[in-house]
Amino acid sequence: MKYLRTRITEVLTPAPNYKLLRFAGDEPIPARPGEFVMVRGEWGVHPVLPRAFSLVECGEFGSIIVKPIGEGTELLAGMEVGDVLTVFGPLGKGYDMDNAGRRPILVAGGVGVAPLLYLAREFHDAGTRSVFIYGGRTEDDLPLSEEIAEVADLVVTTENGARGEKGRVTAPLTRLLEEDNNAIVYSCGPDGMLHAVSDASQAVGVPCQLALEAPMACGMGTCKGCAVMGTDGTYKYVCYDGPVFEAADIFEAAS
Amino acid sequence: MSARLKAPLGALTLDNPFVNASGTYGYAVEYADFVDVARLGGVSVKGISLEPRPGNAPPRTAETAAGMLNSIGLANIGIEAFVRDTMPRLRELGVTVIANTFATSIEDFVELAKRFDDVEGIAALELNISCPNVHAGGMHFGVSGEAAGEVTSAVREVTSLPLMVKLSPEAGDICEVARAVEAAGADVITMINTIRGMVIDVDRRRPMLGQKMGGMSGPALKPLAVRMLYEVYQQVSIPIIGMGGIGSLRDSLEFFMAGAAAVQVGTANYAEPGISLRLADELDAWLAERDLALTDIIGVAQD
Repeated sequence: MKYLRTRITEVLTPAPNYKLLRFAGDEPIPARPGEFVMVRGEWGVHPVLPRAFSLVECGEFGSIIVKPIGEGTELLAGMEVGDVLTVFGPLGKGYDMDNAGRRPILVAGGVGVAPLLYLAREFHDAGTRSVFIYGGRTEDDLPLSEEIAEVADLVVTTENGARGEKGRVTAPLTRLLEEDNNAIVYSCGPDGMLHAVSDASQAVGVPCQLALEAPMACGMGTCKGCAVMGTDGTYKYVCYDGPVFEAADIFEAAS
Repeated sequence: MSARLKAPLGALTLDNPFVNASGTYGYAVEYADFVDVARLGGVSVKGISLEPRPGNAPPRTAETAAGMLNSIGLANIGIEAFVRDTMPRLRELGVTVIANTFATSIEDFVELAKRFDDVEGIAALELNISCPNVHAGGMHFGVSGEAAGEVTSAVREVTSLPLMVKLSPEAGDICEVARAVEAAGADVITMINTIRGMVIDVDRRRPMLGQKMGGMSGPALKPLAVRMLYEVYQQVSIPIIGMGGIGSLRDSLEFFMAGAAAVQVGTANYAEPGISLRLADELDAWLAERDLALTDIIGVAQD
């Protein structure tokens, strides 16, 4: 684990309300897909806490995707090339890429694209073809879809039908799993989506790994702030036991 | 660390005055990969109870203006696992360990103190009589002088360790509580713990936190903490460790000048896990420039 003072080297706008920040420090942070970093700008005492982001890319530079939803993310989305970003990590437990011969199906929504684009690239580099189901409310909620199409079979859904299949990710996911359940599902996105993905996978007995999101302070398992109740009745910590969990450890199978 | 940073606290002297606050640094071992935890003035470990505690229903944290609320509920591994699994590693690392203990009865505080008395490598015992996050527990000892004195003297009888008592800003009269714990045999006062706050989630029309209320910490708390420390300093002669919103050298100087013999850094650890070491180096340079030692500036803002 490292604590680095980095500088922003590039700011991209992959969709109208999303920023991709690339940053570089004296050394890279070797995070795997689904692992995360805690990030903060030098903006004084407010907001006081750093923010957790899964890395989209990891090499000489790292990158994160930011959608402004509050004060911290708004400040980050407004940062410019040359600004200082403090970054520490890698943190948490990422995706287990051992797919045991099963076809990977990646399901993302919103900023959940970050760890899954990284994962799709890793599968691609390892010679494994994956399907990437990517859902947005509208065509403006699908940042980085061109990059996904380069490394995976992309299936797009939008709730308004402006692009791809009209509806949510669950319809193509269920269809694919019915066709061939020799699959493994990896997902990251809004809570409702994760529930639905978990239900669809558990219904046909397909293994499913979900990356959760929770407000967190330390990111290291020390403050005990990011508790979620597991299906075994004990608290799990998103930053430390996760952020990637087996779906069945967090969500009961739908009855 | 240079000699000018030495922070005498009665029988105990810290190599530098920056201690990481309980609940904000785990058991310190988690940070050993990238922070030289042995150089910290000390670490007050995550509050330890007799039995492991699972903690409160989430959400447990919320951000506020220049601060945050937490309602963790003292989730911890319990004294047995701490002594068996964590202490050997802390001794190996050479961390100055302050054992922060939490209980809901005097008997349990006494039992914890007895058990820590035989543990090698504990620099001091800190009684958390001020946690706002546990129902029917903890804080009621910290809000009246009589109750605080009672628990302090009961623990004093069974411990040979330097005894720190952590006070609550929710006391009706914090000076009265401070005088009571001094009279009962405390060696050091730590102040202040968090103060209860609430954030409403206006979309859900409900309090944000699972427990509704949580302890407020961070920079927003600093003026309150400095004022209380300034007042308590005039009322007791034992050393005081000040805390509440420290995130810069100047913040810490305010506490020293108000009368703190050392300080604890809490919420700021989340943004920068090595901040206490940086502040110690900055204080060292600040003192060197003025040809002063830390002890020369303690309480200088008092009349």
